[in-house]
Amino acid sequence: MNWPQLLVTVLTLGSIFGVVTLSLNLQYARGGMINFGIVAYFAVGAYTYAIFTQPPPQGLDQYKFGFGWPWWAAVIVAGLAALVFAAVTGWPTLRLRGEYLALTTFAFAEVFHSVLLNERRIGNGTVGLARVERPFGDWGPIEEKYVFAGAAALLLVATLVVFRRLLVSPYGRALDAIRDDETAAMAAGKPAQQMRRQVFLISAVPVGFAGAVYAMFTTLAQPSLFTAEVTFIVWIALVLGGERSVYGVVLGTLGLVFFEEIVRAWPFETVRSAQIAAAVEHVVTGLVFIAVLRYQPFQAAATRLRASR
Amino acid sequence: MTLPGGANALNGVLLEARHISKRFSGLQAVGGANGLSFSVDRGAFVGLIGPNGAGKSTTFDLMSGVQTSDTGSVLFNGHDITRSSTDTIAEKGIGRTFQTPRAFESLTVLQNVVAGATSPGESLRWAFGRSWRSHETATVEAAEAILRRVGLHERAAARVGDLSGGELRMLEVARQLVRDPTVLLLDEPTAGVHPGLQERLAQLLQDLHRDGVTLVVVEHNLHFLLALADHVLVLADGELLAQGPPADIRADPVVIAAYLGDGDVA
Ligand SMILES: Nc1ncnc2c1ncn2[C@@H]1O[C@H](COP(=O)(O)OP(=O)(O)OP(=O)(O)O)[C@@H](O)[C@H]1O
Ligand SMILES: [Mg+2]
Repeated sequence: MNWPQLLVTVLTLGSIFGVVTLSLNLQYARGGMINFGIVAYFAVGAYTYAIFTQPPPQGLDQYKFGFGWPWWAAVIVAGLAALVFAAVTGWPTLRLRGEYLALTTFAFAEVFHSVLLNERRIGNGTVGLARVERPFGDWGPIEEKYVFAGAAALLLVATLVVFRRLLVSPYGRALDAIRDDETAAMAAGKPAQQMRRQVFLISAVPVGFAGAVYAMFTTLAQPSLFTAEVTFIVWIALVLGGERSVYGVVLGTLGLVFFEEIVRAWPFETVRSAQIAAAVEHVVTGLVFIAVLRYQPFQAAATRLRASR
Repeated sequence: MTLPGGANALNGVLLEARHISKRFSGLQAVGGANGLSFSVDRGAFVGLIGPNGAGKSTTFDLMSGVQTSDTGSVLFNGHDITRSSTDTIAEKGIGRTFQTPRAFESLTVLQNVVAGATSPGESLRWAFGRSWRSHETATVEAAEAILRRVGLHERAAARVGDLSGGELRMLEVARQLVRDPTVLLLDEPTAGVHPGLQERLAQLLQDLHRDGVTLVVVEHNLHFLLALADHVLVLADGELLAQGPPADIRADPVVIAAYLGDGDVA
């Protein structure tokens, strides 16, 4: 097995999805909002990045819009697009609580997915946009894939730092108060509605960034990449890592991605054994989840990390 | 001449209910036929009494924006707050506690009180900076002083889940005190609080009254309340049955018949 390659992939994908899980953690564990449509914000980031970086259409190109912007400008626009999308989707839904919000956001994401599938001119339907380029080349002796993994990790760390800064402030404490008892928090002057909306919007921005980086990684923005499965994976990572700790969330995501990649990369001798392994994977995945939820190793590691800080 | 409410009693109306009412699926909880009207003078210590289900807690809800009155209006300092949200009303200076104590369970006792105050670091604009830190230090000190005042200072580091019912009640009072409210609405503050702590609470309320804080207190413990209040409102079936100084209320035959029963209270 090619371990360096595997680790680089895990670091890259783990960082990208780690950003999404962190945002979900902010929304859920601190904001008390269940967002089962997080993939839509991720997709908005990816598509926006693709649209803004791809060259204007010519000849046989099916798509109508391409702006040929530099990568960094497109990344910023991807974050803003996710923010706008959050504002539009949050406005009617955030009045809803708990499972109602979960259902509505899920429905939103499904609608958005089918729009992506059927809409031809902007996102090019099922085919998607395939002219996404990776912006980083080799850096001297450092290969491009390492540079890219480093950039993804940097985005993760930046998100972590910004969120932590917010959460250790009185703002974070007010969010905790609102989540614990909204009426009591309001009686203590906390504008619960407004703060919840802010959290929903703020947390969408890094998801948009992550979507852009994901589009760079896959060099593709395609509906099949943005199914509800993405939502489930980040939710599982959130639960694995322990919703109360940002470090646990990051470790949980990295752990989950590592597990998936190792199963994918295992060098099977025969086709038959690969088929068996594929079948066993689901069973093993289930068992690992049960074990992780029972023993919570990521949460424990996160607690140690926090204690040693 | 010294009035029972001190000189403040002369300063006019602070909080006023005009024909407010609330109906819950066929049940008129507050308001009766004409709506409920009463006023609270600045600096007054008002007792609000009445049988179970009289509408006392609902009246608090209507004045604090937890629920919105079906009719009429609530005025604070002459401003209409009938439809204002609970947090804006709190920011204007109306503090309240709840009949069933509420607390932020993920925070410690001290943090619960600190979270009661409004900090500049609670706005998104300042949260990322450092300027809120000095404010924070002052709030923590104030919160510690208040915990001492309500007798909870030894429990400062405890989780609220470890507090007794009576301690939770005092914590809720503390969380409002740190906000320096102009008027404080307390819903049954002595319920489940042991006599020693009740005495401390009585002392605290007297001190607040002396400092000019306007108080409206719902109580079934009339021994406690009638000894402290300088004005009493009696509510029955959502309507104002009587009002006046404690001595008159004790002697009022209508009140005795409707609420006090055999008249040997207090
Ligand atoms: N949210 C609600 N939904 C339906 N009915 C309600 C609601 N809140 C209060 N009520 C009813 O309204 C009436 C007044 O209730 P309220 O709690 O204001 O009485 P109270 O005077 O505070 O009584 P207690 O002394 O028992 O606390 C009661 O009959 C109660 O059952
Ligand atoms: Mg009540």
